[in-house]
Amino acid sequence: MGWLLPVLVATPAAGALLLALWPRADADRVGPLVGVVVSAAAALVSVVAAVVAWGREGMRLESEAAWIPSLDVWWRAGVDGISLPLVLLTTLLTLLCMVALLRGEGPGLGSERSLVALLLLLETGVIGTFVALDLVLFFVFFEIVLVPMWFVIAIWGDPKDPAGRRRAATTFLLLTVIGSALMLVGFLLVHTYAGSFDMLELAANGGLGMSTQVQLLAAVAIGLGFAVKAPMWPLHIWLPDAHAKAPTVGSVLLAGVLLKMGTYGFVRIWVPIVPEGARALAPYLACLAAVGIVYGSLACLAQTDLKRLVAYSSVGHMGFVLLGIATLTPVGLNGALVANIAHGLITGLLFFLAGALKDRHGSAELATIGRGLYARSPRLAAILAVAAIASLGLPGLAGFWGEMLTLLGAFDPAAGLPRGVFLACMVAGGVGAVVTAAYFVHVVRRVCQGEPSELDLAEERPQAEASTRELATWSPLVGLTVLLGLAPGLLLAVTDPAVQVLLGAGS
Amino acid sequence: MSLLYPLVVAALLFAIGVYGVLARRNAVLVLMGVELMLNAVNLNLVAFDAYLRDVVHSGQVLTLFVIAIAAAEIGLGLAIVLMVFRSHRHIDVDRMRELSDTDAADAAMARDARVGAAPGGGER
Amino acid sequence: MSPAWVVALPALGAVVVLAMGSRATVGWVGAGFGLLAWLSGLVVAVPALGDTGSQRYLLGSFPTGAMSIEVALAVDGLAAVMVLLATTVALLVLLYSVGYLSGERRRASYTALVLVFTSAMSLVVLADDFFVLLVGWEVMGACSYFLIGHYWERVEARAGAVKAFLLTRLGDIGLLFGIFVLGAAVGSFSISGANEAAAAGQLSTSQATAAMLLVLCGVVGKSAQFPLHTWLPDAMPGPTPISALIHAATMVAAGVYLVARLDDVMAASPAARTVLAVIAAVTMLLAALFAVAQDDLKRVLAWSTVSQLAYMFAALAVGAYAAGVFHLLSHGAFKALLFLGAGAIVHAVGGTSMGPMGGLRRRLPLTFVTMTIGFAALVGLVPAVGFFSKDAVLGGVMDAALHDGSWQAWMLLTSGLLTVVVTAAYSTRAWLLVFFGRSRGAEVLETEPWTMRAPVVVLAGLSLVGGALVLTPEVVDPLGRSEGSLVHPTLAAASTLLVLLTVLVTYSEWWRVEGVDPAARFGPVRRRLFAELGVDRLYQITVTGPTWSLAHLVVATDRDIVEPYVRGASASAQGLGLALRQLQRGNVQVYVTAVVVGALALGLTAGWLS
Repeated sequence: MGWLLPVLVATPAAGALLLALWPRADADRVGPLVGVVVSAAAALVSVVAAVVAWGREGMRLESEAAWIPSLDVWWRAGVDGISLPLVLLTTLLTLLCMVALLRGEGPGLGSERSLVALLLLLETGVIGTFVALDLVLFFVFFEIVLVPMWFVIAIWGDPKDPAGRRRAATTFLLLTVIGSALMLVGFLLVHTYAGSFDMLELAANGGLGMSTQVQLLAAVAIGLGFAVKAPMWPLHIWLPDAHAKAPTVGSVLLAGVLLKMGTYGFVRIWVPIVPEGARALAPYLACLAAVGIVYGSLACLAQTDLKRLVAYSSVGHMGFVLLGIATLTPVGLNGALVANIAHGLITGLLFFLAGALKDRHGSAELATIGRGLYARSPRLAAILAVAAIASLGLPGLAGFWGEMLTLLGAFDPAAGLPRGVFLACMVAGGVGAVVTAAYFVHVVRRVCQGEPSELDLAEERPQAEASTRELATWSPLVGLTVLLGLAPGLLLAVTDPAVQVLLGAGS
Repeated sequence: MSLLYPLVVAALLFAIGVYGVLARRNAVLVLMGVELMLNAVNLNLVAFDAYLRDVVHSGQVLTLFVIAIAAAEIGLGLAIVLMVFRSHRHIDVDRMRELSDTDAADAAMARDARVGAAPGGGER
Repeated sequence: MSPAWVVALPALGAVVVLAMGSRATVGWVGAGFGLLAWLSGLVVAVPALGDTGSQRYLLGSFPTGAMSIEVALAVDGLAAVMVLLATTVALLVLLYSVGYLSGERRRASYTALVLVFTSAMSLVVLADDFFVLLVGWEVMGACSYFLIGHYWERVEARAGAVKAFLLTRLGDIGLLFGIFVLGAAVGSFSISGANEAAAAGQLSTSQATAAMLLVLCGVVGKSAQFPLHTWLPDAMPGPTPISALIHAATMVAAGVYLVARLDDVMAASPAARTVLAVIAAVTMLLAALFAVAQDDLKRVLAWSTVSQLAYMFAALAVGAYAAGVFHLLSHGAFKALLFLGAGAIVHAVGGTSMGPMGGLRRRLPLTFVTMTIGFAALVGLVPAVGFFSKDAVLGGVMDAALHDGSWQAWMLLTSGLLTVVVTAAYSTRAWLLVFFGRSRGAEVLETEPWTMRAPVVVLAGLSLVGGALVLTPEVVDPLGRSEGSLVHPTLAAASTLLVLLTVLVTYSEWWRVEGVDPAARFGPVRRRLFAELGVDRLYQITVTGPTWSLAHLVVATDRDIVEPYVRGASASAQGLGLALRQLQRGNVQVYVTAVVVGALALGLTAGWLS
């Protein structure tokens, strides 16, 4: 079944091509429909891949072909317990975005067809990143997502602020590209000393051929590249602007999927391929992650724009993921992977909701949205409250298990790592969790509760309540959040074996 | 006579030619400097040809090539100088700066920077 | 029958109720599911009452990378009585709510939340794995948050909900870390495993102490003990049945349950017991003093709850396990009774302030009788169950004081006796202010329907006969952890005397000038107590205020420090470009000169290098 993954990667790209070639006359009308069909097809293929590969040991559905033999670059792809949930998350979120686009994105900014095509290209890049098993191939897919994202933010972003959205897009692009350039240098360093771009082979060798100095250098370079994407404090500065200015579908994909590419890279490449370097840098990563958790949560308290608030909350959540990775233990890595998926689901939902509110009120400012949403649109407000509770990590919903396992990993990090530092980071994570609770209940209180003012009621648009299509888009996310909250074993059963292999292989 | 004399003369001629190309303001004088450089090279070629007693006389053959090319080049060069004179009414090399990358480009960049730095919404 | 049904049935009910929406029968459907939960609780718990062993049910497990987490439930004697308490009170509250909330709009969400809460509470008491317990524990906190904020139009409800949630969440982080320590020390996350390890002496004192101190953080938060005690009275703007269920009988008792459940681990850590004793001693007296000064009936009852919870902790801190559990059960009954009675008053009068109340004993006779029984139990008068349980607690503390001579026990005994006096004072004051004297302005709008009367009657009955539990101590203490009996006649007589004395004094104060608040005797002290000694202000200054300032600082840092670095990077790149562009002068001769010089330099370098 080795052909499954190339098909999976190619399907959205083919859809994008199809849309590009579609005759101009009814392209805009047909665009979202084609998008839904193509992304549904991709989702179907990914489900098939999941069914085939779920719970099996090791890398499955592998495919291999020589691409640029003279440069030692091959097409190598495969999925295992680490990448499979991420692939499923990607196809699900893209499908939901396409469904959300069916009702029209906004007041005619750019063309619908182009937006859909760009999103499909984005999907190709992301899925390719998750299934690639060759460093250069990984890099190529990693970069593919950047330009479409630039267009999505710069053209279809906040309609009221053209200069701002262009600046946000450019900042995002430039920072990520600088990081990626460093990452590529790291890859080349690895290839020079270890002799191969094959991720599996490099992971199995565990840094053979590279002295500690080289590994440290490579780890710094590669780590910086992923740290910009993750994002790690203080390289997070692109995130709030990019999320706030992006359109709803852009924010959902950016937060739900693109951020995962960075942390996935840490798990797949940074930890196994340059283990000595990772070990030396792990305490620093942990400290920066802990700072990110607290910093992100505190910044959220002072936000007045809902989308910026959710963006900063992403910084906090990814801080947990990075802390889990920095522990270099199976528990920590499991926690990081579960937190990844949970964050994708919950923050994707939050951005959908924020986008819905922004569409209805013209701005995501809390003051503009008004109070008493429970009275004006009860279902929307209820889902917002549930999403807020999930995002703050309440046990029983998906967000908790990732955070908890991360903190458990920090409680007992890998041998050789300074335990005191990690315990301090764990406590910081706990404090961050309380502050996270504070700002989310603050948001719920500010937006959902309270008496709606006369102005709010007077300005009420006819479609204040969540529409059926919106509920259909959001309910899979809510359902999965509850499901993974009550039965995290579904996810852990597939990530744990892969993590054990990953950490066991290099030693 | 020894090889030294033609070589020294050629070197001196070349130096004068370089001076002419780099330092003279008049375009025609620049072209004359180019001619001097080419002729210095010719002298060099002929001298070495005689010294090495080349059977195929490659030096002298190359000299003929260079003379022909120099002639063609000076024809074109003077034609360009004539065109420049017709449009600018001068052939002062120092004053021909249309290709410079200042002023117009600077203004465009400053405009872009002002637009980009405009406060994009007061969320902070 | 698997105990999973006790957890699953109410949850199922919540789904059904939400699907039903705001139909009129939604309250009855909720009560029906409450009944189902109660019946399943009976089936599961009654056979296990007094059981010395425990039945373990493993529902599944999942790996974490280190120790796996098992979804396991266990039914033993303690779990059995707790299940009965939780499901009984939940059923009565659901029935009561049918009447209390009739005609209101948001009944579906209310009923669903109460059902989810019941499910979570059952999960907490039946759990045999720390994380399963934690899930139930925090879901209860979330339900409490939503339910306190049920009347979210009112600012007190919004503020109270946020405060309750955040203070308990703060404690819960400590609990999480405590679970980590215990799990690492024991090698598994099983609760019974932790107890067995502690009993077998496998836990070092430092491990047990560290773990229990962290767990106590969560307990102190959940049970509103000092220093996290300020949220409970502020949770009173929630509907009164909720105050009865969550903030009197069950959720706040979960902290006591956890300490009782981990009794073996507590025994291995004298330091933790000391800390708990100090907290209990301080809280019981402090809360009682606050209760004396309150004007709002529900706030009096809330502070009373805090004080009574401290009694339970006092018993557990000296090892009087049976007394602690007994008082937990009895308090659950009579405090729920008091709150539901207060609910009837609120329902009839339309407000909770005692100022306008008075002379209600003629207008609300049933409420008067039942609440008198409740107050009698609270104060500790024969034959109410409160008499027996309070006697058991004080007796247990006295036994420990006389037996061990430890200063903790003496401190608790002193504090306990003082609290008995103050409890009698505030109870009598509330009783008098509400039911006696002339009516001071409150209008009785309607009397309560039968759905509100029946639960109160049931609870009153339980409060009267519950004292019989002293005859079967193995129900509350199957494993015989505490020595000594539950009955101490001399102490009982002495405390009854104290109580009667205090009642008399309070009554005389009240009677001196008809209708005057007896607490006015305290003068300026009363104002301080009313402001709860400014603890809230302290938190505002030391925690909340600095956090907000820090938040603004962070945002400013991002805007003024981090971003300019990014802008600076782009600006410097542009500056470099500007500098390099100076080379493009447009003068051809400059270019050629550069070429010549460069070629010369390269040639020389090449020559020099070779």
